[in-house]
Amino acid sequence: MSIRVNFTVNGSAESVDGVWEGESLLYVLRERMGLPGSKNACEQGECGSCTVYLDGIPVCACLVAAGQVEGRSVRTVEGLADGDRLDPVQEAFLECGAVQCGFCTPGLIVACHDLLARNPAPGDAEIREALAGNLCRCTGYEKILDAVRLAAARRAPRP
Amino acid sequence: MEFLRPASWAEALELKAEYPDAVPIQGGTDVMVEINFDLRRPARLLDLNPVAELSRWSTTGGVLRVGAGMTYTSLIRELSADLPGLAQASRTVGSPQIRNRGSVGGNLGAASPAGDSHPPLLAADAEIEVESRARGSRLIPATAFYQGVKRSALAPDELIRAFHVAPATGPQYFSKIGTRNAMVIAVCSFAIALHPRRRAVGTGIGSAAPTPRRAGAAEEYIAAELDWDSRAALDPRVVARFGELVAQAASPIDDVRGTADYRRHALGVLARRTLTWAWHEHMRERTTT
Amino acid sequence: MTTVAARAVGTEADRVEGLEKVTGRARYAFEHPIEDMVYAAPVPSVVARGEVIAVDVAEALTFPGVIDVLWHGNAPKLERVGNAELHVLQSPRVAYRGQYIAVVIAKTLEEAREAALRVGVEYAVERHDVGLRADHPRLYRPERVNPDLPADVQQGDPDTALAAAPVTVDAVYRTPAEHNNPMEPHATVARWDAEGLTLYDSTQGATSLRDAVAPLFGIEPSSVRVIAPHVGGGFGAKGEPHPPVVLAALAARRTGRPVKLAVTRQQMFSVTGYRTPTIQRVRLGAHPDGHLTAIVHDAVEQSSTIHEFAEQTTTPTRIMYAAPNRRTTHRLVRLDVPTPSWMRAPGEAPGMFALESAMDELAAACGLDPIELRIRNEPEVDPETGLPFSSRNLVACLRDGARRFGWADRDPAPGVRRRGRLLIGTGVAASTYPVYRSACQATARAEPGGIFTVRIAAADIGTGARTVLTQIAADVLRVPLGRVRVAIGDSALPRASLAGGSSGTASWGTAVTRACEALRDELDRRGGTPSTGVTVSVDTTEENGEPSRFARHAFGAQFAEVGVDRDTGEARVRRLLGVFAVGRVLNPKTARSQFIGGMTMGLSMALLEESVLDREFGDYLNHDLAQYHVAACADVPAVEAYWVEESDPHLNPMGSKGIGEIGIVGTAAAVANAVHHATGIRVRDLPIRLDKLLT
Repeated sequence: MSIRVNFTVNGSAESVDGVWEGESLLYVLRERMGLPGSKNACEQGECGSCTVYLDGIPVCACLVAAGQVEGRSVRTVEGLADGDRLDPVQEAFLECGAVQCGFCTPGLIVACHDLLARNPAPGDAEIREALAGNLCRCTGYEKILDAVRLAAARRAPRP
Repeated sequence: MEFLRPASWAEALELKAEYPDAVPIQGGTDVMVEINFDLRRPARLLDLNPVAELSRWSTTGGVLRVGAGMTYTSLIRELSADLPGLAQASRTVGSPQIRNRGSVGGNLGAASPAGDSHPPLLAADAEIEVESRARGSRLIPATAFYQGVKRSALAPDELIRAFHVAPATGPQYFSKIGTRNAMVIAVCSFAIALHPRRRAVGTGIGSAAPTPRRAGAAEEYIAAELDWDSRAALDPRVVARFGELVAQAASPIDDVRGTADYRRHALGVLARRTLTWAWHEHMRERTTT
Repeated sequence: MTTVAARAVGTEADRVEGLEKVTGRARYAFEHPIEDMVYAAPVPSVVARGEVIAVDVAEALTFPGVIDVLWHGNAPKLERVGNAELHVLQSPRVAYRGQYIAVVIAKTLEEAREAALRVGVEYAVERHDVGLRADHPRLYRPERVNPDLPADVQQGDPDTALAAAPVTVDAVYRTPAEHNNPMEPHATVARWDAEGLTLYDSTQGATSLRDAVAPLFGIEPSSVRVIAPHVGGGFGAKGEPHPPVVLAALAARRTGRPVKLAVTRQQMFSVTGYRTPTIQRVRLGAHPDGHLTAIVHDAVEQSSTIHEFAEQTTTPTRIMYAAPNRRTTHRLVRLDVPTPSWMRAPGEAPGMFALESAMDELAAACGLDPIELRIRNEPEVDPETGLPFSSRNLVACLRDGARRFGWADRDPAPGVRRRGRLLIGTGVAASTYPVYRSACQATARAEPGGIFTVRIAAADIGTGARTVLTQIAADVLRVPLGRVRVAIGDSALPRASLAGGSSGTASWGTAVTRACEALRDELDRRGGTPSTGVTVSVDTTEENGEPSRFARHAFGAQFAEVGVDRDTGEARVRRLLGVFAVGRVLNPKTARSQFIGGMTMGLSMALLEESVLDREFGDYLNHDLAQYHVAACADVPAVEAYWVEESDPHLNPMGSKGIGEIGIVGTAAAVANAVHHATGIRVRDLPIRLDKLLT
């Protein structure tokens, strides 16, 4: 009635037992692995709050079946900082005031991190398009755009 | 629930034959929503991610064969030149995160009338390759594939393997209407493909009938009216008539996203617009060649 | 009145909890690790009105992992309180579709959810009525409207004045039900132990939630602890207590285990409140030069059959414009619908859509510029009470905004500006929001090492409260920000009002100021910090109880430019600009974000947001984020927010007015007025859907 899933999370090899077959990667991260950084807000891929890297590609963790990550690599917001050294995207979100309630923040940070990895100097239209799947109800997005511009101006994020 | 992980296409067919109730899952963008929302709890999930061939494409005899699991992101990156209509539609699907997981195969499997890939597949005369262990593979024309709201011609023991479509030989356009600038389920959508060599026009209508469908009368009318050899601009009356015929081909309903009347009106607008774009491109190409 | 020498206040201090949030370490309600936890899955009613005849739990109980199933026949009994919405699982009556009928508690969430689908409920269904109409036979006048205002107010003889007015506007405006949809769905972890009940909850007020829950269980508030260090947005939805937290506490009580309950996005549409739909008739009478002689604003709204929530829709009209004859009313009908509650600027947001649309219509009728019309009707004193305004800078906001927006050369003719296939238009509307303040307690403590800790059960739901309170404390203590810790989000801290009515900073900031002043005095008296540290406590009840001799309100002006596709009716906002007069701005960075966020929610209200009620089944049809659209990044163009200098000594020690809600007030009217300017089509029912813009 349950499966075991072996995968790498933020660089560390993990094995999780007792996973329900219909369970999402998001649930496994939050409820079974003590990694609640990725947020659960819509369960249908509309809000992007659960955005994580799956084999280096940003996806909604709520739409990935846990069994599908077998043998693969996942990176969450908890895995972006290098020890105490924040990623430039995280720094920029802090400085620009792009964080309010903070619930959309982890997903947005992963999405911005990916955007800058693909496109070190995005224009505003490109930023808006890249972040189209990350809903924020607090900020009105302006300061999130500021943060992306600031992070881009400083340097491309570490791979 | 059981989680089935076939390592190959052959194994996937075996499992589907043994468990016709197994629900195939590729990007999860439809299946997982249904599970998360308690809309269904399938007895088995059949994970197609490990079947690597599904995310590749190839060309045989001048026809593209695109794996059902190829993500929208890959399709946009690799096939924009050959399948411009489908690539345009793919760009309007959800968000980057959704395009990184979602696939045309998944869109076909769900067979929602609002699926963005259906109109360009119809307009480009695509065929869907499905296969079962018992009966082997068969090709279903897109026009015959959609059978009702979220119902398709796929048999319970079959899986969608690929779609076949000729690379574009003329302009192709897709346009959709929504209330937002992104993350939009279409209020209605329309695709057009000009086939100058055979002097034909393909169309596809989305979100305006129980199934995606072609506007046959509109296609025949415009194919006959277009002056394929000259560089003549379009007659506005012909464009208007094309729009009317497309709107007449729809059988929309009122829902949360828009009224039936609005959908009919908007389809006419989309038809006129995409035809104009396509014809301008056709004239430009004729001018340069 | 104390003057605070500004050092940290007024600067763009970074959010103090920002680091926790950008690294994913901040813990929200559902994320507190607790041993031996189990999960709850509610069973919602599938009928809108009737009675539960039988609940069959036998099959659910056989499911693996299931610990118990609660329903009204076996749930622990609750004490009666004023809000019957909180009497969860106490009665077989069904008041609305989606109301909790039962709850399954199981070891894992999927076990609980699967078993919840197998709970058999038999209903005696009664015919429901979920249709709000202006001529509903059961309309009545509520005693008071939210928060505690008279339902009807009349001055002069508006009917005679309207009949005699040379120019009149008489129009009906409609706003739909809207759902707050904070990004974090409501969630609770409930645990009972020897000391009582602990709730990790997503709430806008730890103290008020504690005080609401304790009497339900017949225990003292001191036996309930509410912990909410981080809250993922609320916008009013987490202000009043709602059924989920009670259900979690019941389930934990019954099972003796800590229970986790996360409301799903879909369930939020039934059980966590929403903005009532409104039908508003506005009648304006004026001289040809635009001077108003009469204003009548009548609102019709809904509430549920089990709890009255009466929104103060027409109250902003009481203070906005001078006119000798005036009437504002509210009528309510109790329907078989979920209970509405607060949503960002309840009353002001829908009410000002109607009033400010009507003012635009009057400007056109008089052939006046809409800004000039508003300036001509600027009152000397509060038209309702006759009190002087403590400060009122609406005109300054309109003028400053007009200059920044480029209003001067505007051609008032509608439907004449084309750019490609777009019709372009601009619009303006005024904003207002009242100044509220509530009594609080706070403590301030000095440690020998020069570190100060301020404690108050305030809430930071994303506003920046924790940061601003730190700034306030640092300045009163005359120390750098880094030496002040502010502890909030826990009912074990000194009692505080909730984050609502844009009153947080005013209420909590007053208490923090007084506590830090008292601590400073105490340290002066002692000649320094003793080795054991020193703590002082304050209570602002007395200070807050002094009646003000002033009418106190914030004001603003909102400008919008829209483009409307003339073929498809697709309307998009091209830019928004707001100028606000809100007293002293304590942190420009967090304040600007509040304004822009509010304006964006206003844009969303104008073009997108609408909870569509299914007449047949009685629930909200589009109950998820794929169907209930909120503005996404790609929908929000340049949004600019500014403020005018405003010095107001009659507010609080900081000189600040609330800023959390005014940003959404007036935005929808500015957009609708711009759409009219673009197309010549006056949309009086929100949202401005594309099919409404085809002629």
